[in-house]
Amino acid sequence: MMVRILGGAWSATSRYRLVLLLVVAMFAAFAITQPEFATATNLKNLLADSSILWIVGMGMTFVLLTGGFDLSVGATSALTGIFVAKVLATGMPGGVALLLAVLFGALIGGLLNGFAVGRLGLSVFVVTLATMTALTGIVNLWAGTDSFLVTAPIVSQLGVDELLGLPTPIWVMAAVFVVALYVQSRTYFGRDVFAIGGSATAARLAGIRVPRTLMLVYAFVGACAALAGVIAVGRVGAATPTVDATLALQAIAAVLLGGTALTGGAGGVTGTAFGVLFIGILQNGLGLAGVSSDWQNVVTGVILVLAVMGDRLRFGGSLRSMLPGRRSLTGPAELS
Amino acid sequence: MTPLLTLRGVHKRFGGVHALDGAELTISEPGVVHVLIGQNGSGKSTMLGVLSGQLRVDAGELRLDGQPVRFTSPVAALRHGIAMVSQETAVAPDLTVAENVLLGRGLVRRWSGLSPAATRKRAQEVLARLELDYDPRQLVRDLRPDQRQMVEIARALSTDARILILDEPTSSLTDDEVEGLFGAIRQLKTQGVATVFVSHRLPELFAIGDEVTVLRDGRTVAQAPLAHFDPHSLVEAMVGEIAAREPRQPRGSRPSSRSGRDDAPPALRVRGLEVVGAVRGVDVEVGRGEIVGISGLVGAGRSELLEAIFGVRPLAAGTVELDGAAFAPSAPRDSIQRGLGFLPPDRKTEGLVLGMSVRGNVTMVQTLERARLRSPSSGAETRSAQAACDAMGVKTASLDAPVGSLSGGNQQKVALAKWLARGPRVLLLDEPTRGVDVAAKAEIHEQLRAVAADGVGLLVSSSENEELIELCDRILVMFRGRVVAALETENCSEPELVRLAGGHT
Ligand SMILES: Nc1ncnc2c1ncn2[C@@H]1O[C@H](COP(=O)(O)OP(=O)(O)OP(=O)(O)O)[C@@H](O)[C@H]1O
Ligand SMILES: [Mg+2]
Repeated sequence: MMVRILGGAWSATSRYRLVLLLVVAMFAAFAITQPEFATATNLKNLLADSSILWIVGMGMTFVLLTGGFDLSVGATSALTGIFVAKVLATGMPGGVALLLAVLFGALIGGLLNGFAVGRLGLSVFVVTLATMTALTGIVNLWAGTDSFLVTAPIVSQLGVDELLGLPTPIWVMAAVFVVALYVQSRTYFGRDVFAIGGSATAARLAGIRVPRTLMLVYAFVGACAALAGVIAVGRVGAATPTVDATLALQAIAAVLLGGTALTGGAGGVTGTAFGVLFIGILQNGLGLAGVSSDWQNVVTGVILVLAVMGDRLRFGGSLRSMLPGRRSLTGPAELS
Repeated sequence: MTPLLTLRGVHKRFGGVHALDGAELTISEPGVVHVLIGQNGSGKSTMLGVLSGQLRVDAGELRLDGQPVRFTSPVAALRHGIAMVSQETAVAPDLTVAENVLLGRGLVRRWSGLSPAATRKRAQEVLARLELDYDPRQLVRDLRPDQRQMVEIARALSTDARILILDEPTSSLTDDEVEGLFGAIRQLKTQGVATVFVSHRLPELFAIGDEVTVLRDGRTVAQAPLAHFDPHSLVEAMVGEIAAREPRQPRGSRPSSRSGRDDAPPALRVRGLEVVGAVRGVDVEVGRGEIVGISGLVGAGRSELLEAIFGVRPLAAGTVELDGAAFAPSAPRDSIQRGLGFLPPDRKTEGLVLGMSVRGNVTMVQTLERARLRSPSSGAETRSAQAACDAMGVKTASLDAPVGSLSGGNQQKVALAKWLARGPRVLLLDEPTRGVDVAAKAEIHEQLRAVAADGVGLLVSSSENEELIELCDRILVMFRGRVVAALETENCSEPELVRLAGGHT
């Protein structure tokens, strides 16, 4: 019985088994070579530092499942940081400001990206790149070059305080993950997302509301980016007018590492969680080993390429036969 | 004499499914047409995948001219002169005919700086082997599906193939297009190219085949010259028991399921429907419980008519009524909610989400109105998906298996089951039994009649006249966008339908 359950759990990991093993191996390697690595303090830091990528990655997973991606999350995140700083400066209660910030991000994602991609059918790449460019401009216009010191308790509560012995960002990560996993695997909405990514035409002919679903998916990633933006403010203690242009790429890398298909229709947030951990452990461990952040970026870039190649390997044509035992969905048996 | 090719003791498993279980196949000599048949899921496509290097076997031996060979990829198979034409035409629509034909050659040989003129000339040579006179400069996107398939075959030939593999090439062709394909195959025969051919349409097998291999549950149960069989004994070999079915009566001689209430408005009434470039002023009426067929050549406007009624193609003019109420087709969702259902002809891209489970596909339209943040109830879903799959006779390892892992015919049954689960009032079916084996086809027809008997109106488009005659109460014949004839099934015959579909009166 136990063996059956474990066997079932093991086979459920098939899409992200590689990154799962890599995470374990890398953890072990750093734990052995870096004495400070496997300490409670460092691990808490590692997770809390990963929170931004993690939260954005959850939203990004849904976008990739529909067959798209969103390049504008870094800009949305930065803009929301400034937004929340300004709102808090008016004396608005912290909880309301947080809610407004998340709503702000959802509106940006849903009404700009979601509308253009879902309703107007424009190219994902062009739309989200344009949104990113425009939002970056707005960040600079709105904030100039100043950072806003934010002293409202809500941001430090979210970013650095501890709750029940763990930094709050870790609790937020867990909550976002649970919600995302539930929506993905236990709701009709989640099913629509998979159907659209699998075949948008088939989904439309079956009566699924494709444009609306896409708008909601882009709204969700926008909300995730906004929440991440508020946490980022909390961790720094200030809203800075700098857009992290690599956030989108890192999030996409994490999603792909986690086994979600670039073409959509297969994958999920559990894999993404491991993809984020992989990047988090790598950067933390390299940092402890004294590798500069520029080199960390180089390594991350290489990993992104590897992740995309892995995606090809999994779903590409002629290479499929190299992977024994993988169930291919579009194999030659389907040619009839 | 050593046979051209032998496959022995082939085993292939997909997870728990034993797709091939010691199957064998022998192609006796160059130039033969080898027919591979079996019921849905018996392992035919898997066998062809093995032959063409797309699948690796778990065990088994392949000999070519008596020499053992092992293919690690389709390219390796091509080098040995074995080329497969996939059913989903993989032609590049934005390239010319000539470029498409020579793409295959680029695969195995170096592209040595061909001039456009030389490319055209070479392509023309290959096309001439098939006795085709396509303009090599034409874009493939402008060709009809059957013509594209010919381009695919030409491409396979351009690699100097000795064995050409065709998996259900006729499943979407009308009878005259099938004749065209067979002409090409006979032409290749004279050039010593052997063909392996899968089809579920028995009559055409006897028209073209020389030898036959029958698969059942992944095993070879018969290999012989085709002349040793007649249609009855062939079906017997496939099914494995004396098919003790009554010979089917034509639809007309059975009591009609049409409801007698003539005063009730028809389930579907279409008046003067026009679609730009495809349908020109069509009137159709489908009563409750009635099955109406549409016959016609590809390009006659059959598919466009159904699409327009369902709201995926704008109508330029005309009215549609459902149960007497006016209805303006606008979008699939709206149509579905008004009681329409539509089975598109291409299950791979339109009818199904291949990566999704059987359960998810079957319940997709049924659960359309549920609040999106609600959880599907797995018990209720399993029951309704299981019921719909049972009604259609779907063979699947489990309801959670991705639909794409099912055999072609079983996928088609899932695509139908999805609409049965919803239970629409009018069902528009485009090629309802494409790729379904003979035995299962009869069962699906039975099911569709049962659906009609419940008062649902069915409008069925098919390229198989035999199917229409067997299934429908009435048949409309379309030619160049118009309905040119409306016949009661009891007094119409296949030759007559063919004649009318060709525009003769
Ligand atoms: N990629 C795959 N993954 C899992 N199972 C598969 C896969 N391909 C085929 N099968 C299984 O192998 C069996 C044989 O399938 P195959 O496609 O060869 O049948 P077929 O004879 O071509 O049937 P059809 O007439 O319906 O096309 C089926 O039970 C099918 O579900
Ligand atoms: Mg098949």
